[in-house]
Amino acid sequence: MTTDDLIAQLSGTVAPVSRRAVGERLARGLLLGAIVSAAVMAAGLGLRPDLGAAIHGSIFWMKAAYTMSLAALALTATRQLARPDAGSIRWLWLATLPVLLLAVVGVADLSGAPSSAWLALWLGKSWRICPWLILALSVPVFLGLLWSFRSLAPTRLRATGATAGLASGAFAATIYCLHCPEASAMFVLTWYSLGILLATAIGALLGPRLLRW
Amino acid sequence: MRADEDELRSLMIGGLDGDAAAHAALLRLLVPLLRGFYRRRARGDDDDIEDLVQETLMAVHGRRATYDRDRPFTGWLFAIARYKMIDHFRRKRRLQPIDGLEDELVARDFEAPISAEMDVAALLGTLPPKQAHVIRATRIDGLSVAEAAAAAGGLGESDVKVSVHRGLKALIARVQGEVR
Repeated sequence: MTTDDLIAQLSGTVAPVSRRAVGERLARGLLLGAIVSAAVMAAGLGLRPDLGAAIHGSIFWMKAAYTMSLAALALTATRQLARPDAGSIRWLWLATLPVLLLAVVGVADLSGAPSSAWLALWLGKSWRICPWLILALSVPVFLGLLWSFRSLAPTRLRATGATAGLASGAFAATIYCLHCPEASAMFVLTWYSLGILLATAIGALLGPRLLRW
Repeated sequence: MRADEDELRSLMIGGLDGDAAAHAALLRLLVPLLRGFYRRRARGDDDDIEDLVQETLMAVHGRRATYDRDRPFTGWLFAIARYKMIDHFRRKRRLQPIDGLEDELVARDFEAPISAEMDVAALLGTLPPKQAHVIRATRIDGLSVAEAAAAAGGLGESDVKVSVHRGLKALIARVQGEVR
């Protein structure tokens, strides 16, 4: 096909585009993935039985604030990287802030407890499966974001894969909060973060392959 | 006639608002820009260049939602063009795939080493030829004093050492004089 023919064909379909198109596209993919992920969690794992009481306590919201702040930062970075002329995402170092805050809470917890209880605070009852469940729940969210990216234009594919993985992991961890009854900051700091980190690493690994356009 | 940023940007925004004529005009104006861009950078034949131009036009059209109206249009365009070039050659394997090619293309600065080389040459030009020669041999080309003496033919090693020393001293005085 000659270039002139191509231009004629391309300019045959020129739909108006909203200013917020990138954000809306990402939100749709994210929401789709999150709904699937929440359904899997509710059907496969079940909500924590004391959820109604837990949402009146501060521990539930500490966990949620941790995962949601990570998710928000990661999503902002992902939205930035969805444009070809993305610029620097060095500000993403801010994501260490919630981690540090949670670490402070965790250390305070430990220092208020007898040393014989430390191991229980750290490992809880579910440390073996928690990171893996978060990783599993992140898969639908990641797929949703991949769908979003089919009409976006990232040029730094590894970084984009990593931030999309981080967003998926943090979102999945937020969903997992509705199931997980663990109540120690040290537990969340270690095992939630590990699950989120795994999702980030896998995103970085797959990004260059799956995000090409 | 070369289109400029303002013109391209207003056509792009027209296209985003649904104006098909503006969009077609934009794509037509991009063709010579992109051909020039790829000819300067990719050593492919004309078919390669035209493939790249067409791929880029399709991307500009298909992913136009990723253009932010508040930012420069050409920055957006050439970010896509650069990405398409890297992707194209990776796929065709005409150039061997090089890890980190993006960094290479974006970050490699050819200007700095060349202008440094010119500064050095200008400074050495102010010295007597013998001093300039031995400084270049020992300090830039990396020869030992003995090798430099042999290469200069008939100079003694101590002569080389003294020449290097005097030459460097003169250069330091000159550079400090310029700074002051």
